[in-house]
Amino acid sequence: MTREDVDFVLNQRRLPNGYIFPLPIIFDVDKDEIKKMQLREGDRLYLRLKGKPFAYIEVEEMWEFNPEEIAVKTFGTPEKNSDALKKPLDEKHPGFSIYRNMRGFAIAGKVYIINEPKFKEPYNRFWYPPEMSREEFSRRNWRTVIAHQTRNVPHTGHEHLMKEAAFMGDIEPCRGILVNAIVGAKRIEDFVDEAILEGHEAVNKYGYIKPERHMVTFTLWDMRYGAPLESLLHGIIRQNMGCTHHMFGRDHAAAGDYFDPYSTQTLWTKGLPSYGFDAPPYDVEKGLEIRPVNVQEFFYCPRCNEITYSETCGHNEAQRFSGSFIRGLIAEGIKPPSVIFRPEVYDVIVKWWRVFGYPFVNKRYLMQKEEELEVEVE
Amino acid sequence: MTYKIGLVLDEERLKLIKGTKLEKELKDLFGGALKMIDVEITEEQAKKLMHLFPRVRIDARGYVEETPIVFRRELFKAVLSKATGKDAIDEILQSEKINEIVKLAKTEDEYLPPP
Repeated sequence: MTREDVDFVLNQRRLPNGYIFPLPIIFDVDKDEIKKMQLREGDRLYLRLKGKPFAYIEVEEMWEFNPEEIAVKTFGTPEKNSDALKKPLDEKHPGFSIYRNMRGFAIAGKVYIINEPKFKEPYNRFWYPPEMSREEFSRRNWRTVIAHQTRNVPHTGHEHLMKEAAFMGDIEPCRGILVNAIVGAKRIEDFVDEAILEGHEAVNKYGYIKPERHMVTFTLWDMRYGAPLESLLHGIIRQNMGCTHHMFGRDHAAAGDYFDPYSTQTLWTKGLPSYGFDAPPYDVEKGLEIRPVNVQEFFYCPRCNEITYSETCGHNEAQRFSGSFIRGLIAEGIKPPSVIFRPEVYDVIVKWWRVFGYPFVNKRYLMQKEEELEVEVE
Repeated sequence: MTYKIGLVLDEERLKLIKGTKLEKELKDLFGGALKMIDVEITEEQAKKLMHLFPRVRIDARGYVEETPIVFRRELFKAVLSKATGKDAIDEILQSEKINEIVKLAKTEDEYLPPP
């Protein structure tokens, strides 16, 4: 993005052409290295991936910025954005840290791929750029498709969320459920990406949701954990992919307790005026077309004796199973009971545990990922 | 303020608590598919744990999560012999064993034998 693009995004959450865009995308580089190359505006800068050329940028602008200022303006402050933010972001917030640690010098311009990288197993079968995903939806006769955003292996709460959210639909239940996993910068103790993708695949492969109604894909992106702001980006990505609806739960795309846990749902029902949305994003000029399905909690109720929904179960005996609870069981070598975790999904975790020697992301996995990436370049 | 650490009991641990007062404290989770006992932990003890083991956090239910496996194994042993959860946790935090536990916890991040 150019300086003008970033200014528009930070001040209006829109591009200069008026369309919604919530987060700055900055190609930050080392200023001294660029000076040594004697790069100028108008030049073409070739980019390498794993040592091989794969893209170029037509350099439109080179500009300096203050990373701290960009980081603060990207997410806002509790004073300015009291309708969403509870406390100021800091270095502990992974998204804030991404912007805060940029090098203060940006190159802007259009990017052209010249040597498309090939995804390795198992990523290759889950890669659906928008043109392909739309073709696939058309092939499946999916008139309505609801997106499920994930960075995690699915437990049965997620499975029920997908089933019930798809049923909420609009005029009729959604025909298709698109799982779109975000694959990018990992945190220690996340599940590994391979387990996340194949874990979600296991949900349809073993019939918990019919394969004709459920599809697993991924998007490459280092999450900014911007909660409502991130949800706008998610809306854009999944609308581009052909989705008509997007499910949003509590604490969508959040890390820690900086944002109000319902800020995303508020944005998509009433708007968030402090970020420039006096109405929901589908109800503003040059807005999005994708519609939200705001969902509350799923948990196990011993009286219902099943996984149930917070807005319908009246027993007040909820037994919740958080991601960290399930991780704790797995780490101790205890297979989670099938009512909260499908055995086939557990088998996927064990499969990749045997490959990496650890069930979750650790330093070794991160280093390996940095070196090998998910792609090969020929 | 008090929090809890949930200790899940597999068959081995269930055998060990048979006939003890801990049997009465067993909780059924998910329709009996899991058995657990809640060990109460004070705020001060929780803070000490968060300092010793940086990944430890308190979840929305008030449970102290992400404690290392080696710590949970020691906690179970301590809970068998002590009257209260607070005493069991103090036994671990105040003993010389804690340094060994912290050291072992670090290696858990590198390798865990798969089932």
